[in-house]
Amino acid sequence: MTALTAKPWVWSFAAAILVWVITVLFTGGSSSVGLSQATLTFAAFSVIVGIGQMFVITLGPGNIDLSVPATMTLSGTLALKVMDVQDSMIALGLLIAILVGVAIGIGNYALIKLLRIPPIIATLSMSFIVQSCAIWTNRGLRIKPPETLSDFTTSYSFGVPNVALVALVLSLAAWFLLEKTTYGRWISAIGQSSFAARMAGIPVDGTRFITYVLCAVLAAVAGYLLASFSGGAALNMGAEYLLMSIAVVVIGGTAVAGGNSNVPGIWGASLFMFLVVSMLNTYGFGAGVRLILTGLIIIAVILAAGGRRVAR
Amino acid sequence: MTIKRMLLASIAIACVTAPVSASAETADKKIALSNNYAGNSWRQAMLTSWDKITKDAVSQGIVAAADPFTTAENQATEQAAQIQNLILQGYDAIVINAASPTALNGAVKEACDAGIVVVSFDGIVTEPCAWRIAVDFKAMGESQIEYLAEKMPDGGNLLEIRGLAGVSVDDEIHAGIQAGVEKHPQFKIAGSVNGDWAQDVAQRAVAGILPSLPEIKAVVTQGGDGYGAAQAFAAADRPIPTIVMGNREDELRWWKEQKDANGYETMSVSIAPGVSTLAFWVAQQILDGQDVKKELVVPFLRIDQDNLEANLETTEAGGVANVEYSLEDAQKVIDAAM
Repeated sequence: MTALTAKPWVWSFAAAILVWVITVLFTGGSSSVGLSQATLTFAAFSVIVGIGQMFVITLGPGNIDLSVPATMTLSGTLALKVMDVQDSMIALGLLIAILVGVAIGIGNYALIKLLRIPPIIATLSMSFIVQSCAIWTNRGLRIKPPETLSDFTTSYSFGVPNVALVALVLSLAAWFLLEKTTYGRWISAIGQSSFAARMAGIPVDGTRFITYVLCAVLAAVAGYLLASFSGGAALNMGAEYLLMSIAVVVIGGTAVAGGNSNVPGIWGASLFMFLVVSMLNTYGFGAGVRLILTGLIIIAVILAAGGRRVAR
Repeated sequence: MTIKRMLLASIAIACVTAPVSASAETADKKIALSNNYAGNSWRQAMLTSWDKITKDAVSQGIVAAADPFTTAENQATEQAAQIQNLILQGYDAIVINAASPTALNGAVKEACDAGIVVVSFDGIVTEPCAWRIAVDFKAMGESQIEYLAEKMPDGGNLLEIRGLAGVSVDDEIHAGIQAGVEKHPQFKIAGSVNGDWAQDVAQRAVAGILPSLPEIKAVVTQGGDGYGAAQAFAAADRPIPTIVMGNREDELRWWKEQKDANGYETMSVSIAPGVSTLAFWVAQQILDGQDVKKELVVPFLRIDQDNLEANLETTEAGGVANVEYSLEDAQKVIDAAM
């Protein structure tokens, strides 16, 4: 039990389960299946962008990717435009989305490394360029996703939403990368002390470069899925996911100062973030109260998780 | 430095000499559009309409220039700085879609003091020296309940999808809906979520509250959120209620599909993005020396069961149902306010 409460991610799951129970109580239990499915569906998108952001934040103080929303918008817009409602183009669309992610990731790191711009500024300026490209590509017109792809993203396998299964596969890969590979050790080492990491012979620049590309690619994939799920790309479709991607990382128990991260927490936090809004909507709170309560609840969860770590 | 000084001097001369020839001619007048946001399909359509109508006007020599400027961050401070730049650049009129009804008043006053005509539309400013082309958003909200009351006299539960919290338009439409519900107490708002005028946000919010809601007879909306709501209902395997739409092409196309399949009935209401062109003509008329009331009202664009097909045909795929205004339309709006 102590071993379990010592894990920083336990708190986000505990909070998610608590909020789920309170929400379901409103209807006496009849909403449990519907709410669970909706939660898994929408948490999936936050999980995918959250994992990318988590890798970047793990790199240590100052590392953050603010180009996530613009990347989602551009990859969704471009992929749907290229696919143009044809089922045969689905794979090509995914490839385009991934390439968009790779290009933006390279661009981000080029600004950070070559021009020595701090990541927060570099990725923000990159996001303006990317967002303008998205506007220029299609001027905000919505193109429908191919039928098969849209069916896939909106349906269920064994009662579990397909997008949640995709997020699960990506999470397992991320967990493996973080815990079982040299690369995972390297980013943790860089996050704890980039100077020590460099002295130990770790290729710091190469590792950071790969991490920024990885984050952009995950955001691009999330954009591709979200655009297919919601029936077309919109210019503001990524806006929700900037703060979301950072919030799920922090609530999930990843150290904001870097060097220590975990994948399960991203899931707990993503489920929690969707459920909190649903709970407050269900109980009929107005927008003002809802935002205040959301803030307070998030602070409470972070304090609970952080407090344990101090006590340990 | 000397060039800068010369430029400033020539602007000053232009400003001094301009009023002399103002009474009938606008051929040498420059109009600027100050726009706070471009990040959704409605705003893109608004800019496209502006471009189309003003290019014609410039090539016909009606005005000398009509340049659109959009701020990057949707911030009132940024837009205030932009307006100050436009004043220095010597525009004769500034047409504004404002980030805030009050925060730009200082900059707008400066423009007025410099002799510049300021016309605000959609996102209007409260500064008395500016003209306002307002939409009666409250009536827009109320019209939804009126429609539903006629369609389902027995009433029932409503789900309300609101816009972006804290924006005045959201409060006004909501007030209209509330007034409508008070007048027709057979309706009850069973749930309310914020959809931020975006399909994916609306879909997410509706999917979250839907499992806890009783049977919903109708969904009242603010535009840009109807299709997302429909998808959330379909995903939850619930009967599709009457969803009021917001003139987006995907909403209209979905409505048409449902209408053909099972006789689905609803209505759709929003303001046409082409209202920017109305603001342009109003500014041109003011520069032309016409007497124009400070408060003008633009009608909203409503689509019903019988004119759905016609509107769908003229709406660009993936865009928004739109109307572009001509000089005559603007004169009608001006006369109506007299």
